[in-house]
Amino acid sequence: MMIKKTALFSMLTAMVIATAACSSGGAEGTEQSGGNNNSSENNSNSGNDGNGGELSGSVVIDGSGTVYPLMSRIAEEFMVNEHENVSVEVARAGTSAGMQKYVAGETDFANASREIKEEEVAELEANGIESKEFKVALDGLTMVINPENDWAEEMTEEEISTMFVTGNYKDDDVVLWSDIRSEWPEEEINFYGPNENHGTNEFFVKEIIEEQDLVETINLQQEYSTLVNLVAEDENAIAFFGYGYYANNDDKIKAVEVDFGNGPVAPSLDTIAEDGEYGPFTRPVFTNLSIDAAKEKPQVKAFAEYIFQVANDFAGDTGFAPLPEEELQESLEFIQSIN
Amino acid sequence: MKYIDLDTVNKRMTTRILINKLVKYLFLAATLFGLIVLAVLLYRVFADTIGWLNLDFLTNRLSTIPENAGIKGAITGTLWLMLIVGPVTMILGVGTAVYLEEYAKRGRLHSFIQTNINNLAGVPSIVFGLLGLTVFVRVLGFGTSVIAGGLTMSLLVLPIVVVAAQEAIRSVPGFLREASFGMGATKWQTIKNIVLPAALPGILTGTILALSRAIGETAPLVALGIPALLIPIPSGIFDNFTALPMQIYYWTLDSVLVDEYANLAAATILVLLIILFLMNSVAIILRNKFQKRY
Repeated sequence: MMIKKTALFSMLTAMVIATAACSSGGAEGTEQSGGNNNSSENNSNSGNDGNGGELSGSVVIDGSGTVYPLMSRIAEEFMVNEHENVSVEVARAGTSAGMQKYVAGETDFANASREIKEEEVAELEANGIESKEFKVALDGLTMVINPENDWAEEMTEEEISTMFVTGNYKDDDVVLWSDIRSEWPEEEINFYGPNENHGTNEFFVKEIIEEQDLVETINLQQEYSTLVNLVAEDENAIAFFGYGYYANNDDKIKAVEVDFGNGPVAPSLDTIAEDGEYGPFTRPVFTNLSIDAAKEKPQVKAFAEYIFQVANDFAGDTGFAPLPEEELQESLEFIQSIN
Repeated sequence: MKYIDLDTVNKRMTTRILINKLVKYLFLAATLFGLIVLAVLLYRVFADTIGWLNLDFLTNRLSTIPENAGIKGAITGTLWLMLIVGPVTMILGVGTAVYLEEYAKRGRLHSFIQTNINNLAGVPSIVFGLLGLTVFVRVLGFGTSVIAGGLTMSLLVLPIVVVAAQEAIRSVPGFLREASFGMGATKWQTIKNIVLPAALPGILTGTILALSRAIGETAPLVALGIPALLIPIPSGIFDNFTALPMQIYYWTLDSVLVDEYANLAAATILVLLIILFLMNSVAIILRNKFQKRY
């Protein structure tokens, strides 16, 4: 009996000692990498030892889920091939959620699938953060339907922008396919799309339906995986999202060929370009870099340079069309000039 | 004259026997329902795991390329998390339980605290996540580090430990305390030498069960904003981390981008299930070994 008690007590003691050990180890950890707030100071020290030397510290990135696949791929290549001791952390809370952290100075980069908003610029100024927006790749807004849908395979740009606006066909927004073209089935259209956390939603509302209200019957989702599954199971579904989420699921869902006036064009890595055939639905995706972070932390500057050196190598793999080389070169030179 | 009308009895006999049997199978079906769902889940997890769960997967770092991806970082992160949650909940939980059972006077305040501890156990985990985001991540400036995650999880499972510890302390027979007081021991000496050692198995069981709840929680970590890609292995409590359930969450969502992520998620689920199974076994062994000592 006594032995058992002693054994149990020593277990307890061991746990307590373990905690004590952790906390002392943790203190050292702060000096090495630290939290977001105090890391800049420490990292600048390590950076001053020489630009050619091995970098360390962390690069904190949050923002768009659309840009995430590309950025995480670049981050991984950077850590594996360039600077093993740098920790590039990529989160993806959504463009607007990522921006909130960025303007508060919590992150070094904010990925965005839309341009920065005026109020976000104002907040950056209020917090004294110098920021710059860069294009990293091109995405094609893709309209997707169920593979069983053999009627709406081609639509005009106008048909798309009309059907998604509230009140254009019916007051209660219960729109039938036959409302759009009389030869199409008399069945209700089920609209889907990403919710307001996503830059893709904001882009669609701003650029495609020009600030009008979306149909009330639309089902808006947080996760693209949910959208893909909903469209894959619903013959009367139509949804919009980035090309990458379509391209990786083209066995489950079908892309609508859009007629911008010169015949139907399917979105593809060849047609998506700002002056390409799919141009009207092409949008750049961005990353915003805190210039202050780039000045203070050499690892942030190094990663920013790396992005524009390799963006086009990984764009295709992750479902983005490449940017013109000159634009990437311009961004690279801008970052190299930061001191 | 017959006291028992055999005809009526016979007539009702068949239905009664029928209902008797029916009810038995009804309850059996209710039992099987859960088991079948579990079996289907396990089958799907195992089927998806084949070829993916190997030593490389356990020892490799995270990667966006499925063939290179491993969960060493997530396992280490989960262990660090447990190293915080275990001691913190045990110290705070047992402290609360000792106060409530041994010191606090039974009265309004006591029942108020008691009710609120029970209420706390029912608060959705996402709420604790938001609390952690505000207090530990932002105000205290821990960022999304192990300590922020660990303290958030500790708050989440604290009520479980408090209730378990209270029950363990309550089940220590009164005559042991009285004997101790009779020998001239003070209250603290009695608690330290008599009550806590006797209640320890129950407390440990409760703590382990609380840990196994914390190990599988995802929502609070999502609320804290744990990054989806974090390759370095955490080496201290102020390092950023990722944990097994986070990896399952992100890989499941991202399987629309890369099909193989579904297999990685399944393999991670299996690892998590094995860890949970081991922890629960330890809790059951402890309970059975030390049960009914008095």
